[in-house]
Amino acid sequence: MEINFEHRHAAHCENGVVRNLLNFYGIKLSEPMVLGLGSGIFFSHMPFYRLHGMALTSFRYFPGSIFTRVTRALGIEVQWHKFKDPDKAMAKLDEVLAQGIPVGLRVGVYHLSYFPKEYRMHFNAHNLCVIGKEGDEYIVSDPIGMNKNRLSAENLKKVRFAQGTSPPEGRMYYIKSTEHYKPLTADMLYKATLKTCSGMLGIPFNMFGAKGIAYLAKRMRKWERLYGERGAAMNLAQVIRMLEEIGTGGAGFRFMYAAFLQEASEFLNKPEWNQLSMELTEVGDLWRDFSYHAARFFKKREGIILSYNDIADKLEVISARETEVFRKLENSIKRG
Amino acid sequence: MKVKDVPQDDEFLQPDGDVLLRDRTYALDDDGKYREIPSAGWAPKNEAIKFSWSYKSEEAQEIRKEVIAGKYSPIMYHMIRLLMTPRILADYTGLSKRKINKLCKPKHFAFIKAEDLSHIADAMNISVEELTSID
Repeated sequence: MEINFEHRHAAHCENGVVRNLLNFYGIKLSEPMVLGLGSGIFFSHMPFYRLHGMALTSFRYFPGSIFTRVTRALGIEVQWHKFKDPDKAMAKLDEVLAQGIPVGLRVGVYHLSYFPKEYRMHFNAHNLCVIGKEGDEYIVSDPIGMNKNRLSAENLKKVRFAQGTSPPEGRMYYIKSTEHYKPLTADMLYKATLKTCSGMLGIPFNMFGAKGIAYLAKRMRKWERLYGERGAAMNLAQVIRMLEEIGTGGAGFRFMYAAFLQEASEFLNKPEWNQLSMELTEVGDLWRDFSYHAARFFKKREGIILSYNDIADKLEVISARETEVFRKLENSIKRG
Repeated sequence: MKVKDVPQDDEFLQPDGDVLLRDRTYALDDDGKYREIPSAGWAPKNEAIKFSWSYKSEEAQEIRKEVIAGKYSPIMYHMIRLLMTPRILADYTGLSKRKINKLCKPKHFAFIKAEDLSHIADAMNISVEELTSID
């Protein structure tokens, strides 16, 4: 049995699943629009929260928040499940699938059989969609793959109950009804954008939001002293992986959010947002420049090799620029 | 970023070629409009990934020497090699973290139950023969 579900490739797994699920119910949104409406862009660097024994650097909000926020804004009813028992989790999945409902799952990538060996770390916030079952195999629509694929029941059970930092615990979610669906309005966009701005500017701890980037810079200056030369490079590698690898559409969602601002500027007829989109693109280019220079720590090429202080300076510039962009964005709404 | 600058540095072999995992990069075209371009990867990212793995494998080689010297059991070597920690392994197998730490020592490893051994091999996704050797 396979549900007639249009599989579309996306940059980020959660945005992709949300967009494809909404598309199944006839609600057409683009991926940047899902990110913007879900207030997905963020920054945090938390030395006390560890992934692979290193500080977690994140460029987006908590996993699952985009789905919750987008569906809440559009007035769509959803259902979440969490399980202790793997067999019950699989039985529930079969039950919902049998009703012809595509189901989103949160999985860990460590045991995911179609991922390249090098990508398999204990990262437990990957999302995919299950759209059918044939015998012992599930038909999976993973938004970061160009095509649909199949996964054995045994493997799916294992990845749903992956262990490590923030285990997925068999989480599954699906759309229950679109009865109270409200089409996209300007108000929704303003509200979501204000929420994004308050996340980027308004949290009174120095490790969150745009000022968190300066905090990361401050920590980075100490890395060599704290962890030694190789340990510091390892920490830097982790930041680059979070910035580029986990399907961010380039430069930790900055380009994708710029695409959202451009789309919204047309929708709202607000040309100044297109200007802000271009500014955010420049910030994204600065992030790419940072990654490029940081990569020289791992592979010694010809040319100048910068020190940690130098690349930390780059981050401070980025922090100031992002603060400026989001401040302007907030003012453009608040002051009309 | 401009459309023509979208990198296509493919480096890692995908076990299932049909899925074709790709990044999707948002880039500006000549008219200043955003376009979505599938990208195979980017060299700095690939280098960061390769560096993390080489760091881990060096660490594992150090442990391997100590396994030969009789300080640790093969479980320790495979645990480091496969990015596992005692905590994660304990969560996968249902054994306690203390038990895992104990089994990392040769004198306790000598009396390991076949059942525990297969649980650990299963969690690491390798066979029992691989788990008990260090080749």
